[in-house]
Amino acid sequence: MALRIVVCAKEVLDPDAVNNYALEGRLVIGDDGRSLTQSSIPRLMNAYDEQAIEAALRIREAGVQCTITVVSVGEGQDILKHAASLGIDEPVAIQADSGTLDQHGIAKLLAAFVTSRGGADLVLCGRQASDDDQGVVPALLAEHLGVPAVTIARSVEATAAGGELGVRVVRVTPDGDETVTASAPVVVTISNELGQARYPTMAGRMAARKKKIASVTTAELGIAGEELRPRVTLAKQFVPTVKSSCEMIPGNAEEAARALIARLRAESVVR
Amino acid sequence: MSRVVVCTWGTTGGAEELLTLARGTAAALDATLGWLVLGPAPHDLTEIASRQDVPIVDRIEDEKLQSFGGDVAIAAVAAYARQHDFRLMLVPQTFDARVLAPRVAARIDAGVVMNGVGVGMEGGVLAVTASAYGGDTRVVYALDAGRFVVGIVTSALTAAPAAKPASAVTRHCPVDLAGVEERVRVVARSEAAGPRIEEADILVAGGRGLGEKANYRLVQELAEALGGMAAASRPIVDEGWAEPARQVGLTGKITRPTLYIAAGISGASQHMVGCAAAKTLVAINRDPDAAIFKYARFGIVGDCLEILPALTRAVKG
Repeated sequence: MALRIVVCAKEVLDPDAVNNYALEGRLVIGDDGRSLTQSSIPRLMNAYDEQAIEAALRIREAGVQCTITVVSVGEGQDILKHAASLGIDEPVAIQADSGTLDQHGIAKLLAAFVTSRGGADLVLCGRQASDDDQGVVPALLAEHLGVPAVTIARSVEATAAGGELGVRVVRVTPDGDETVTASAPVVVTISNELGQARYPTMAGRMAARKKKIASVTTAELGIAGEELRPRVTLAKQFVPTVKSSCEMIPGNAEEAARALIARLRAESVVR
Repeated sequence: MSRVVVCTWGTTGGAEELLTLARGTAAALDATLGWLVLGPAPHDLTEIASRQDVPIVDRIEDEKLQSFGGDVAIAAVAAYARQHDFRLMLVPQTFDARVLAPRVAARIDAGVVMNGVGVGMEGGVLAVTASAYGGDTRVVYALDAGRFVVGIVTSALTAAPAAKPASAVTRHCPVDLAGVEERVRVVARSEAAGPRIEEADILVAGGRGLGEKANYRLVQELAEALGGMAAASRPIVDEGWAEPARQVGLTGKITRPTLYIAAGISGASQHMVGCAAAKTLVAINRDPDAAIFKYARFGIVGDCLEILPALTRAVKG
């Protein structure tokens, strides 16, 4: 039987573009006081989610028979087209106004989707989204599904010891790499250490044009009202200001270096 | 009366800073302050509780909590939360807390926010300020009604003792963990290789400005001359110039050294998250407009390939 993989993906504002605006001091918050509305910032798939798709594709390439579904809550049709061009089996959009949902609501919808498909053996998520950086949806999803969560993976291998499906994951921890195993079903979050995600091939792009993006509604998932009520509401967003007090040390490399070390010694910062 | 509870396990790193924040929040909410300690007591538990005027320290001691295991720790906190009411639970945002907080929240149907940098009242409503976009923005989340579990990045907080110290009462809160087994099995750990940058007093960090992998040696040489450790920005870790254990920033380590020398690092917010708590920050960059200078105490504009060896010579000479 094929391993059923579901990858969760989110559309975000390009974090590099946001960072460039921030570094230039030109990042502005929209009139609602809550969101970044600069239209020149592109929207794309959260990079960690792209790496989660990459992890799924690597499992397939390792010879594991599997089906790969990529699901996204909200409008994000473009990121699902991108996913389709990478050779996944089924792109699915959950129709919902992502602006009114919090992490809790998103996780509820994703869990309901997985359950509606009769479950998944492996759910792959990016470690966090590069917009809110919260990283809580995978853990909430694991709880709603009643399965373990293995976080911050650099590699994921599907196992089938004695006919029991499972994973072998190398995690990146502050103390170094840790190899863990868990039985399926399981949620695994992917970190940037997985390495570069692939680009779509021309053939993949052509095939994606013909691929239909499946669409499900919250009503079809049997979720509504109170269950999606946000626990946490975004009140406002702002760009933090930094009060600069930098003292520039002049001179050529040798002079500046000697002057700096002298200053640091005078302040007992170095011996 | 509602409660604000700080939950910690293992060593007390960040606990006192967090208790100071929680004490202020409890006062604003007219709530009492509590401290939940999982597993073995840290050696300085009593002193910290006293300094921070914590009236009651709750302890969950169980054989299974000798070391942090995800499923057991989560089950313990969730069981505690079912027995003891609170409005807000604050956890220092460690690697393990990033999993614990949301999973506990899901089990007790509480809201959850991570990356918190501050908690307070916003228009009469409890709110948490968190970093977003790798630190480029701050978001304020309103925590209207119900219970919340919030992860706080403690590196930018400072601890302040209470006006009058108290002697805390310890309350033992047994929970039944008999049926809880870890569902994720650790089969191998790479050897923890020597000292860690989170604990280093002096850090010299290199970034893309080094140009190529071979030049990372210049960072290591200065670090060695200063008796410190070499660190790195994420781009050069991704490039394989330095090991992941040396990565500073949002997805790497949060450090708080006495001296942090950033060489060839632009100062992207996601990096600054990991070094903003340094007591003295020195920036070396070719670009006089680099963002890193905004955070620095001292700056040198120039090529780090020339300045790093010059600094090494100045330290030795």
